[in-house]
Amino acid sequence: MKLSYIYELVLFVALILLQTLLLNRISLFGIATPVLYIYFLLKLPVGRNRYYVITSAFLMGLIIDIFLNTPGMNAAAITMVAALRKNVLGLFFEREGYDDFVPGIHTAAAPFARFTIFMVLLHLTLLFFIESFTLFNLKNTLLRIATSSAVTIPLIIALDSLMFRRKPGEQ
Amino acid sequence: MRNLFIFIIRNSHWLLAALLVAVSFYLVFTHNSYQRSVYLTSANQVTGWFYSLSGDVTSFFHLKKNNQLLLERSAELEKQILALKDRIALLAAADSAEVNAFVSDSVPMPQFGYIPAEVVNLSFSGVNNFITISKGSRHGIKPDMGVISTGGVVGVVSVVSPNFSVVIPVINPKFRLSARLKNSENYGSVFWDGTSIGEAQLQELPKHEDFHKGDTVMTSFSRIFPRNTVIGFVSSQGESKDDNFNTFNIQLATNFYTLQDVLVIDDTYYEEQKQLEETLQE
Repeated sequence: MKLSYIYELVLFVALILLQTLLLNRISLFGIATPVLYIYFLLKLPVGRNRYYVITSAFLMGLIIDIFLNTPGMNAAAITMVAALRKNVLGLFFEREGYDDFVPGIHTAAAPFARFTIFMVLLHLTLLFFIESFTLFNLKNTLLRIATSSAVTIPLIIALDSLMFRRKPGEQ
Repeated sequence: MRNLFIFIIRNSHWLLAALLVAVSFYLVFTHNSYQRSVYLTSANQVTGWFYSLSGDVTSFFHLKKNNQLLLERSAELEKQILALKDRIALLAAADSAEVNAFVSDSVPMPQFGYIPAEVVNLSFSGVNNFITISKGSRHGIKPDMGVISTGGVVGVVSVVSPNFSVVIPVINPKFRLSARLKNSENYGSVFWDGTSIGEAQLQELPKHEDFHKGDTVMTSFSRIFPRNTVIGFVSSQGESKDDNFNTFNIQLATNFYTLQDVLVIDDTYYEEQKQLEETLQE
């Protein structure tokens, strides 16, 4: 259990650095940007305390905002996603008796993929609508949501299948 | 009453989430009203340090190309110096005393000083584009100073910390700049519509202004940039929102993808002009 928190902290820091120093400089065709940091929320154990999930998600969004000069935008989107996480989990995974269960492609491939798709779409929809509140047209925003999700989802699944290949003792 | 407490306790994570979302939105809106907060931007010490570290690494990959650009630029300047020397020599041959007086008289203290700075971070994903540079208030940089590159206009300094500054580039929807075509006295304003990083729009030109592909777009009246600084080149006829005005798409002179070194413009008369103009508004 202790180890799990340390591991989460490492993931937290690594994802922030990856997002701000590398991924946010990518802009495929001028519109699609991978938004990978939501991976942190996907990999928290199912039964993790909700306050912990919401607060850490908010902090993560805020730090990313500070790096990207967009105060509040990422924080608002990821906090909303974090608040809904438990309910979304209930849609795709069995609830009972698996509090330490960490969703992953090797433990439950199909539910994890569906879970990822849902969470990423939710997050990017919130994020891009907050970002383009007044300035830009709907078509452009929808296009950005669709293309960015299309880049982010395979990236998350690929990352998960690479990182957790030999992780024993789950399930 | 007891049930109410139970209800609140059971659902308090929603309250926490709502509170944090409210805080976030507060930040969104105060930022949009252009509050110059240093702590929540990449100009602060910690994020600036990270960015300068990663900028150090990535700048290596561009060294060769930048060197090439600098050589071209210095060659061009060299050529101009030679041309000017020739001219002075020619004039001096006619009447040396007069020309010497003329030359020393007409070169007073220069109005514009240039502070070279290095780009430590570029963020070009989506709408809120910005650039972080490696010089700050300790090096004499203040908000609202203009920033140019060897190509042309880059943007305007927005936030300054002791060692870093954040620049709002041309390709940010908050950026607007008065501009004109090289061979015309009519002016319009440069604005970025968010579609392409290499392209901006020159709006509010009079309807009779003719479209010529490749025309140079330069700054006109601006407190921030010297007159006739290149912004870009007309590339195609744009869509106009208003029938009374013309809009041209312009290819920006600065290549933002490979931007490494910039010059911050220090206008010695900026404060004086600003104060004078503000006395009128009061």
